[in-house]
Amino acid sequence: MSRPDDFRDTDLSAWLDGELDATRRAQVDAWLREQPEAATRVRLWAADREALRARLDPVLGEPVPASLIRTVWQHRAHPRWAQAAMVAGLLVAGAVVGAGGMWQWQGQRTSSMIAAARAAEAAGTPAGWIQRAALAHSVYVPEPRHPIEVKAQEEHLSRWLTRRIDIPVKLFDLREQGFELMGGRLLPDAGGKSAQLMYESLDPVTPKQRVTVYLRKPDAAAPTAFSYRQHGELGQFYWVEAGAGYALVGALPKERLLALAQAIYKQQPAALPAASAASR
Amino acid sequence: MSAPPAFRQQLVAAIPRLRRYARSLVFDAAAADDIVQTALERALGHWRQFDPQRDIVLWLLSIAHNAHLDALRRGRRLDVLPPERLTEVLDAQQTLGGDVGLRLDLNAALERLVPDQRSALLLVLVEQLSYAEAAVVLQVPAGTVMSRVSRARVAMRAWLDGGAGGDIPRSAAKPDLRRVV
Repeated sequence: MSRPDDFRDTDLSAWLDGELDATRRAQVDAWLREQPEAATRVRLWAADREALRARLDPVLGEPVPASLIRTVWQHRAHPRWAQAAMVAGLLVAGAVVGAGGMWQWQGQRTSSMIAAARAAEAAGTPAGWIQRAALAHSVYVPEPRHPIEVKAQEEHLSRWLTRRIDIPVKLFDLREQGFELMGGRLLPDAGGKSAQLMYESLDPVTPKQRVTVYLRKPDAAAPTAFSYRQHGELGQFYWVEAGAGYALVGALPKERLLALAQAIYKQQPAALPAASAASR
Repeated sequence: MSAPPAFRQQLVAAIPRLRRYARSLVFDAAAADDIVQTALERALGHWRQFDPQRDIVLWLLSIAHNAHLDALRRGRRLDVLPPERLTEVLDAQQTLGGDVGLRLDLNAALERLVPDQRSALLLVLVEQLSYAEAAVVLQVPAGTVMSRVSRARVAMRAWLDGGAGGDIPRSAAKPDLRRVV
């Protein structure tokens, strides 16, 4: 090993990386003060480190390629031939049961949701729109044929909904959270109109799941805190911010729904500019 | 059984870190994403082996590292770009900002490091892992990480001191680096 007053590059390198214990660090500190040449060498190493980080850190901010996200959500445990057999089996089962069967269990909850919504409406609960969001979810999610009015692929979806409900409607990208936008529809709401965006899970293994985002212009512009409530299996996150009311509805575990709600929250448009509101 | 959604969610969250590490290993964005893709598939195939008490990023970096080594062993020299491609890749990175000449030199210097040294250097400097964490990823003792990082630094600096200036003398540099170490 080296004498304490003669440090090797390994020691200096570990010193720069903060890997030395306090005693040894102090020894190197002192030694470097006496050794301008070594000190310069270490300074250059530090500069190289900064240059490397500056070159590579921007990768963190790049959009993640959709193919990688698909890989994560669509990966199956079974080998390819088993997948093919499984798909064939599902097709046969699908023909027998009928496409509606898959969503039927969710449809059965609809009637109780309607009752709950009526009760809330009758009671004049301020959270009436949240009830309506849950109701709209329960009505349209089980639809095998027409769960949505306008498909996600159609360019005008966002523009159309924005124009109709008078708040900026953004098509939230939830693919990183494992959900893909199917499309949206316009709905009647007590205060006028509202919009519903529907998403379906990308994960092909577990049964398909759907969540909806309900958007409306709130009655009072007062912000409402980020809240959660549960009705049977259906969870809801809702909040009012920047002149828009949001309700995310889905029969998912709370943490999973929260991840989606946070993604929406991060992507939601900033406050409605006064000028554009007036021009409508 | 397939990987549960919570696990998949963690993988998605780790993708940017994996991409940065892979990019530092192979420079070419597409080749780097191939490594990430392979790592993700392996992680999903072996998700039961992951101990939730551990840091998933370390586990994934380790898988990505092995995927890279496998690719190298198969003779697909993912990390070596022909000179005309290097310019192209660098042009694509223009948006990253900073001094073009310096970036070019950094790439060249990194490219010339022995793969073992390069991985250790990148894990500690760019991924900011401790020697102990890098040792887990590389499956070597922490002391080995320490000496590899040090040797990589010395070699890289020697290249930057001697090889600066626009044109890259590609074949001439390697023997010189040996001498420094």
